[in-house]
Amino acid sequence: MSSTAVPGPVGRPRGRRLSSVFKRQGIQAFLFISPAVLLLGVLIVYPMVRTSIYSFANLNSRLEVTRWIGFDNYTRLFTKDKSFLNLEEFPPSGALANNVKWMILYTSLSLLLGLLIAVLAARVRYESLMKAIVFVPMAIAATAVAIIWKFVYEPDPSLGSLNAFITTFGADPIAWYGRADTVNYALIFAYVWASTGFAMVVLSAALKGISEEVIEAARTDGANEWDIFRRIQLPLLSLPIAVVTVWLLVNVIKVFDLIYVMTGGGPGGASEVIAVTMVDEFGNGEGGYSAAIAVVMLLLIIPIMVFNIRRFRSERVTG
Amino acid sequence: MKRRWFIPAAVLAAIALALGACGGDDDGGGTEAGDGSITVFSLWGGSEQEAFQKVLDQFTKDTGIETKYESARDFLPVIRTRLAAGNPPDVAVIPRPGVVAELARDDALIPLEDMGLDPDAINENYSDTWTSLATVDDTVYGVVAKANSKSTIWYKPSSFQENGFEIPTTWDALLDITQQYDQKLTGNKAPWAVGAQGRDNSWTLTDWFENIYARQAGSDNYTKLFNGDLPFNDQTVKDALTEMVKIINDKYVAGGIDTALGISFVDGIGRVFSKNPVAEMYMEGGFVGGIALGDVNPDLKPGEDIDFFPWPTIDEANGNPLVGGGDVASAFVNNEDNKKLIEYLSTPEAGRIWVSTGAIASPNEGVSDDAYPNDLVAKEADQLKNAESFLFDGSDLLPGTLGQDFGTLLQQIVKNPGNMDSLLDDYQAEAENAFAAR
Repeated sequence: MSSTAVPGPVGRPRGRRLSSVFKRQGIQAFLFISPAVLLLGVLIVYPMVRTSIYSFANLNSRLEVTRWIGFDNYTRLFTKDKSFLNLEEFPPSGALANNVKWMILYTSLSLLLGLLIAVLAARVRYESLMKAIVFVPMAIAATAVAIIWKFVYEPDPSLGSLNAFITTFGADPIAWYGRADTVNYALIFAYVWASTGFAMVVLSAALKGISEEVIEAARTDGANEWDIFRRIQLPLLSLPIAVVTVWLLVNVIKVFDLIYVMTGGGPGGASEVIAVTMVDEFGNGEGGYSAAIAVVMLLLIIPIMVFNIRRFRSERVTG
Repeated sequence: MKRRWFIPAAVLAAIALALGACGGDDDGGGTEAGDGSITVFSLWGGSEQEAFQKVLDQFTKDTGIETKYESARDFLPVIRTRLAAGNPPDVAVIPRPGVVAELARDDALIPLEDMGLDPDAINENYSDTWTSLATVDDTVYGVVAKANSKSTIWYKPSSFQENGFEIPTTWDALLDITQQYDQKLTGNKAPWAVGAQGRDNSWTLTDWFENIYARQAGSDNYTKLFNGDLPFNDQTVKDALTEMVKIINDKYVAGGIDTALGISFVDGIGRVFSKNPVAEMYMEGGFVGGIALGDVNPDLKPGEDIDFFPWPTIDEANGNPLVGGGDVASAFVNNEDNKKLIEYLSTPEAGRIWVSTGAIASPNEGVSDDAYPNDLVAKEADQLKNAESFLFDGSDLLPGTLGQDFGTLLQQIVKNPGNMDSLLDDYQAEAENAFAAR
């Protein structure tokens, strides 16, 4: 795993006069990085800067600035828009609060399940079959996942498998995504189902990388299976676990498709998240306002990116 | 050595070309010649799309101009993205007059006059109610392509007969039937079905509210409310909502409110008119008939298994205004082809082809009753033509986010009617900002 983080050998060619090296390298280096810089600039940096600028303005339907309004979009977002953040309730509700709920539940559940399956599957004979089954949902597009789970959660027991199941025990059918108190958990579970395979594959591969000898040695020293997991496998898995966590976190801050298709943020805005709010506001003609929401989303992702880059740097030094 | 130069240079050139191509869209002054093909954009899919396609096919046959229909359920984000990118569709059928006005004021739509069409001639076949939807600040921007009555309540005539129910003409009579049904029905069955799930289906609740409000508070208050001249936390609004939750509650809606907020508009129709019905009545517009017969259960016999009655009156003094909707076809690009299509859509011929599919009613007065394929649509068209007064679907007139948030608000209120006051106060605060920004 760690090898991907270590850049290939770089260094300047030796035995030439510095000035010529500088000149040639300058042009050459520029040429080599320019396509990447240009693409990143056009496709990422430029839209990012433009969006940030838009977030301080009112826009018309052609995204032309009609009025500069300073931080008004942001004040409105955090103080007036209860569907984005409502601090009057406890726990706070709204799209931002829901994203936090997602970050905690989705990330920890996907990670724990992935780890559990990776460790347990390594101990059985039909490991590859087991892993293939868990991995299959990764190959399904998120909108298709949404439609599959819409059927699972369908309120009518003759259509919805989950309600068909619970009604056989005499319980009343539950409208899983029609209720404000169940909708978020229903959605999070569906997404965990779709992402556990990723966590499992990465962790399982890392687990395979731990040398058998270390584990044999521990067994000889009298360690039981729990000790082996707790004191040998888990510490050695800390790096891949961090990688998976970062991926899951970024994935969940931008979560959109599943919710957009399954509930569209309903009922009564109970399952709104940042990205769904952003698209809805854009559709409602609030270009500047949705740009402000996009900037908030970006600001949430930046700390995770910084963490990631710093970890890569430290990798380079030790590696 | 030369090779090293070549690849990055080629990449740069390719990118420059691609970027250059993006910027070259400009619709200059007058009406240009078309390129013989038109993209038409709207949000219909399924049977509604097929019906419209027949109209486009006839247009192609008549003029030789190719048409390409593009559809997106999330119409608004897509149209705005395309506008901002300088790549609008040639013609779009816009489902919300509030959006027509906004796009017109941003100069995104081409006025009929600029295309060389005579607005008066185009509007000849339409009453003022309809032409006003496509008119912004005295300029006509398009034609009303189709119309819907939303003051229709769908029921099963055979079941009414069995139970000895009369068509209710007053709200009290409707509540009475609801109660009687509730006593007779057993198990998981209930008098009503509602499908108001999420963002895409909450408009069924706004239609409920609008019909009640128009009849209880009157047309004047209705117009004021949706124009921002009457606050949403007004007592009249609370009174209307109090009436609304007399039907939309856990007792009278199949599966309760949780289910109503968990199923789509079409699933709601299925709960009443599928082969395994759990409810007896469904409130939504004239298009329910087409969807029920076309998509839900083709075996239904109109007039026996399915029919509708007009919304009953609530307050005699306010009469029985019709609440409805209409879609406006408008051009985004000024050329001869688009001009021909807009003109064609305003003709009785186009209207006749469209209504013959049973999918819509036409506001075009040149479309006669015998063009309709069954009594249900003919009855709807009749209702549209003979309405004593017509009110446009209010939530579609609200600016910006308000329309969508109104549906969300009603979802919250039917779930917790006790929180009505504070929810309405919050919504009113939002509305003040939105109307001020307009």
